[in-house]
Amino acid sequence: MRQNPLTLEQLIEDLTRGNVTEVKVVLASVVLALAAYQLLLAGVVYGRVRLPFLSPEAAAWTHRATGRVIVVLVAVVATMCLAFYGFEEGGIHAVAGLVVLGVLAVKVLVVRLGRLGRLLPVLGVSLAALLTIVWLTSAGDFLGVSG
Amino acid sequence: MTGRPSQAVQIVGSMLVALAIVAVAIAVVTAHFGPASSAELEAREERIELREEAREGRREAREERLEERREG
Repeated sequence: MRQNPLTLEQLIEDLTRGNVTEVKVVLASVVLALAAYQLLLAGVVYGRVRLPFLSPEAAAWTHRATGRVIVVLVAVVATMCLAFYGFEEGGIHAVAGLVVLGVLAVKVLVVRLGRLGRLLPVLGVSLAALLTIVWLTSAGDFLGVSG
Repeated sequence: MTGRPSQAVQIVGSMLVALAIVAVAIAVVTAHFGPASSAELEAREERIELREEAREGRREAREERLEERREG
């Protein structure tokens, strides 16, 4: 029998070599940067932005691929956040983070079902705004960008 | 005709842009951290400990030699 069972908290600390906050800040910043790119790509898909070298079809493909990467990164950051820090002292960050997960789930569901496609732009913009709030209340705070 | 590159080239290009965005984000954020990450601090502490251990070892060896000389 193991003396100290490996907890998720311990696993996260081991994987990040003790730099949990730093890794979380980097991953959250990558998510935010990709979210901004997603907005541009969505603009191309919906014809709001016209780029002579990028068709709406190609933009849609990259939008979906980048979106999948964002979903994985958000899941990793959320797991790190909840397992390592929990809900204590969460405040706006915790609430916005939970709403992000909810909106993300709804967006994936809408895409998978193939219905209510008209909601996608609203969901996408809301998601980007929420990710910005989540970033500003954690990574931005850590980097001294916000407040 | 706008003379757009082929679909595959457009997709590869836009994915490369995404990769570049990821690389820039990582570089900018890690540049903010400086040398204060705990891994680096741990490595520094380990180096100091090793140096102290080596110093301690040399001192002990010197004392042993002195004692042997006194006894002999």
